[in-house]
Amino acid sequence: MSHLGEDLTALLDGALPPARRAEAEAHLAGCDACRAERDRLAAALARLGALPPPAEPSPWFATRLEARLAELEATLPGGAPAAGRTGLLGRLSAWRWRLALPVAALGAAAGLALFTVRHQRAGRADELAVAAQLELLEDLETVRAAGDLADADEVAVVAALDELLPREGRP
Amino acid sequence: MSQDPDAALMLAFQGGDRAAFRTLYQRYARAMVGYCHRYVKDAARAEELAQDVFLKVHASAARWTPSARFKTWLYRVATNHCLNELRRAEHQARQDGPLDEEGSPDLDALASGGPSPHQELEAGRLEAALRRVLASLPESQRAAFVLCRLEGLSYEEIAGALETSVAAVKSLIHRATVTVAAALDPAAPDLQEGRT
Repeated sequence: MSHLGEDLTALLDGALPPARRAEAEAHLAGCDACRAERDRLAAALARLGALPPPAEPSPWFATRLEARLAELEATLPGGAPAAGRTGLLGRLSAWRWRLALPVAALGAAAGLALFTVRHQRAGRADELAVAAQLELLEDLETVRAAGDLADADEVAVVAALDELLPREGRP
Repeated sequence: MSQDPDAALMLAFQGGDRAAFRTLYQRYARAMVGYCHRYVKDAARAEELAQDVFLKVHASAARWTPSARFKTWLYRVATNHCLNELRRAEHQARQDGPLDEEGSPDLDALASGGPSPHQELEAGRLEAALRRVLASLPESQRAAFVLCRLEGLSYEEIAGALETSVAAVKSLIHRATVTVAAALDPAAPDLQEGRT
């Protein structure tokens, strides 16, 4: 006969679905080992009730937090709350310095590609333009993969990078 | 997520209403200070960590969406911050050598009014034993145990806070509870040693 295992703790926590709970209680009625384990765990959990109460915030908590918030907001453009800058423009604003280097690199790559294309023989111009675009796409993938893109918002901003590039030379 | 009473405040804050943020932190200050104190022994440090949590919430509020319950998200931010603090402190301790005995009762706390000296001594021993066993647990077990047993979050809320499944939370809590129960057994050496 298999014992209750994890279900025993979940039973004590009232976290089992009704059907499983009924099965577990039926098992307990006929299993000395599980009853002993339940009693042992329940006694330990009951002891936690004797712990000292959790720490209270000091009377200066709000004052100190407000001071730190004011300091934080003073560093933001226009002193606006960070949350006030929502939407793609807000995210782009926050990202502008982090994106400056990759955007500049992509722009330079595009410029170099255009320069190269214009100085090649006319018969190879189309092939080179395609190659340059492929290179741009590869660079974009590199930025996507290499950066510390912590969440979907940041990925979305990077995904919009190519829209920031010069339109010249696009197919 | 209109059932979340904090969602309207977060949305208002996202719109630039700073008073809404103040209401939120006033609502959760006590819970956050208490929660952070489960990870660090020093009350002043716990308060500082709780303030850090609210600063992080402030700084990243634009990323919050009503699909995430605010309380769950707040505990997620706090858990990550406290675990990072523990890692930093452990790294520092390895560089500086052993610190003071973490398990000794907090004498400043024991000196305050309230329960009898005997009860406070016992509570202090229990707290010290709990701190020791929690410190020995893997991070995820420790966080799940504290959120469940000491903060009163449901398995579903803990799953949201730890960004894992309810099944995983069930397993984490079970393993942590078994370990803690063994350590808090009145006959356990960990508790006996505090009485000698």
